[in-house]
Amino acid sequence: MSLAAKIKEVLICLRAGRVTLPYPFEPATVPKAFRGRPIFDVERCVGCAGCANNCPAREILVEDVCQEVRILKYLGRRCTYCGRCADLCPENAITMSNEFETATDEISDVGQTLELFMGTCQRCGRCFTSPTPLEELKLKGYRIDDLMNERWVFRSKPFLNEEKTVDDIDIELD
Amino acid sequence: MFILHLLNRLQERFGDGISRVDMTSDERLYLYVKPAVLRNVCVFLFDTMSARYAVGIGADDTPYSGKYQVAHNFAFDGKNLFCSVITYVDGTAPEVDSISDRIPAANWSEREFYDLVGVRAAGHPFPKRLILPDGWPDGEHPLRKDVPWNHVPENFHSGREYEFERLPEGCVAVPFGPFHPTLDEPAHFRLYVEGERIAGCEYRGFMAHRGIEKLAESVLTYNEIPMMAERICGICGCVHNVAYAQAVEEAAALSPTKRAEYIRTIMLEVERLHSHLLWVGLACHIAGFDTLFMQSFRIREPVMRIAEKITGNRKTYALCVIGGVRWNLDEDACTGLRRVIDNLEDEWRGVVAAVSKDKNIQRRTRDVGVASPGLVKRMGLLGPVARASGICIDARRDHPYAAYDEVEFDVIVRESCDVWARILVRALEVFESIRIIRQCLSKMPDGPIAAEITDELPSARTGISSVEAPRGEAHHFVITGEDNKPRRWRVRAPTYQNLQGIPYMIKDQTLSDMTLTLGSIDPCFSCTDRVETIDIRSCSHRVYSGRELESLVRRKDK
Ligand code: SF4
Ligand code: SF4
Repeated sequence: MSLAAKIKEVLICLRAGRVTLPYPFEPATVPKAFRGRPIFDVERCVGCAGCANNCPAREILVEDVCQEVRILKYLGRRCTYCGRCADLCPENAITMSNEFETATDEISDVGQTLELFMGTCQRCGRCFTSPTPLEELKLKGYRIDDLMNERWVFRSKPFLNEEKTVDDIDIELD
Repeated sequence: MFILHLLNRLQERFGDGISRVDMTSDERLYLYVKPAVLRNVCVFLFDTMSARYAVGIGADDTPYSGKYQVAHNFAFDGKNLFCSVITYVDGTAPEVDSISDRIPAANWSEREFYDLVGVRAAGHPFPKRLILPDGWPDGEHPLRKDVPWNHVPENFHSGREYEFERLPEGCVAVPFGPFHPTLDEPAHFRLYVEGERIAGCEYRGFMAHRGIEKLAESVLTYNEIPMMAERICGICGCVHNVAYAQAVEEAAALSPTKRAEYIRTIMLEVERLHSHLLWVGLACHIAGFDTLFMQSFRIREPVMRIAEKITGNRKTYALCVIGGVRWNLDEDACTGLRRVIDNLEDEWRGVVAAVSKDKNIQRRTRDVGVASPGLVKRMGLLGPVARASGICIDARRDHPYAAYDEVEFDVIVRESCDVWARILVRALEVFESIRIIRQCLSKMPDGPIAAEITDELPSARTGISSVEAPRGEAHHFVITGEDNKPRRWRVRAPTYQNLQGIPYMIKDQTLSDMTLTLGSIDPCFSCTDRVETIDIRSCSHRVYSGRELESLVRRKDK
């Protein structure tokens, strides 16, 4: 009886033939819905900070450098490619691309920094009426975006210290 | 009705001991009891009412009530009921009576809530540190609300060594893990061996802590947590994703749309298919039968592809948000999925027919890793391990969620209690999953895939959800909170219970059966280790250092 089982097993293997794909010698294709590295379109982004407010990995930082310029920085290192940012962007400025071969020794290769010129209201001089989405984000009491050190810090902290803290694992290669 | 009958019996017996009762539905009973009767109520439920112990939870409620909260959850599987026994304790050194001597399944839960929340289980038979790293200072409990999520204790004793228990007379210690060829993740078993026979063991795990529960309670918001929840496990991620969403929905009294429920069911079953095929492959690999290992993985590949096509990723589906799902199944995807499961059914039938008659693999796995029905009950073992020991439990049927109450399927049970039975149970469950997916595809209603939620979720509500993962029931407990995030989210992965059964399953077996037995529960250490906040650097340094491995090896030659 066991011999019959063995023969059956051999047949299963033989019938399957060779299934290994020639990747990486030939590129692998991905389906249409694939969620790869998010790409931000600076032309479309209105700087609402909705993506930053909803990113589970806290990969998107926003800071106003002056009244009219807002910096949006996507770090790209802990990004889980969940696609929440793309879901929520009101302007469809984020596309989940086909890129999955993102291994790099230079972390900035996968990041993206957007410099956004914010149109202001002719009457009041502000881009949004108060509280702006960005202010709301910070009012919640959990974050101050620290672009220089690429991290976000709890608002409840009295001051920001200069060195990078345990907020982030430093994965950059030196 | 059973829930009323149960309540009557409890009130007869404990009267004033029960201070409040919440019946949120016919399936959930929240009993708030005085600390003095906690132990007796639990023992009564477990022994007299034959409940299954699900999990113990500790929570820091001090910002709201000034007290700490302890809950023990019990499941009545035949009656579709979860009963949570909750008590509040206060003081600087809060304590509850331990129940582990009578309910051994509570052993880890009680040690866990001491480590993390600082509520001591007085009279615990083995109150050793379970979760925190060895150097973590005593008296600091990371899940307390006054501890920030990124807290690094100042007086971390990086030199403190773990103290193993004394070796039994006449035994040598053989270290198994932290890194072992058959384990994909770190866990350490110190086996006490007498000749070839295993006389006992000490488990030391929780080396893959990532602080997920703390992050959820302090940093993330309701709709961000599902994306992290699915990273609890690399294989049954969708289970945690769905279980979390359901627990919050239950707490907030929301219901997902019908179509969303069907999509959840389909994706959960797709996940079970890939997980079972993977496991059967790995089990054969451990047993030295690599042919089937290769074939299982080949047969599994289309399942991964179709998941990628539907959700955008092979494994992390990022499926749920509160109130629904994110990906719809269009006509194209449905046809694709139908084709995949049709092929899979054919191929798998051939494999099962061959393997179930294969004498070699039977000889290797029969009477190995025996878990008696008594052990299953005592340690609260779950899933295929329980079903292979003749205990017919399955959360899909016993506590139906999503669309499982609208489909028909059989719960596969085998009686021989060994690894062979576990292989059979999993191999046959593949066909049931295919059946479920087929029914869902034909019954799935049209409509929106996510409910519109306009109000803020209410705070201080409690929700329990239980999802049958490929390895057994995953149990989530949520207390909702302010600021769009939960106050407490407790995850109990199936391996958390199953692993506690391992010392009994390997006892008196030969050393060579250890890998197979451990493999047979399909252990998932990351799931089990999901909680904790630790300094990542110092912990990994401590735990994985070559010096320590070396010293373990040396200890072996002594
Ligand atoms: S894909 Fe997810 S993790 Fe990545 S930036 Fe967008 S929201 Fe954040
Ligand atoms: S959500 Fe879209 S528009 Fe708003 S900041 Fe992000 S990318 Fe820009």
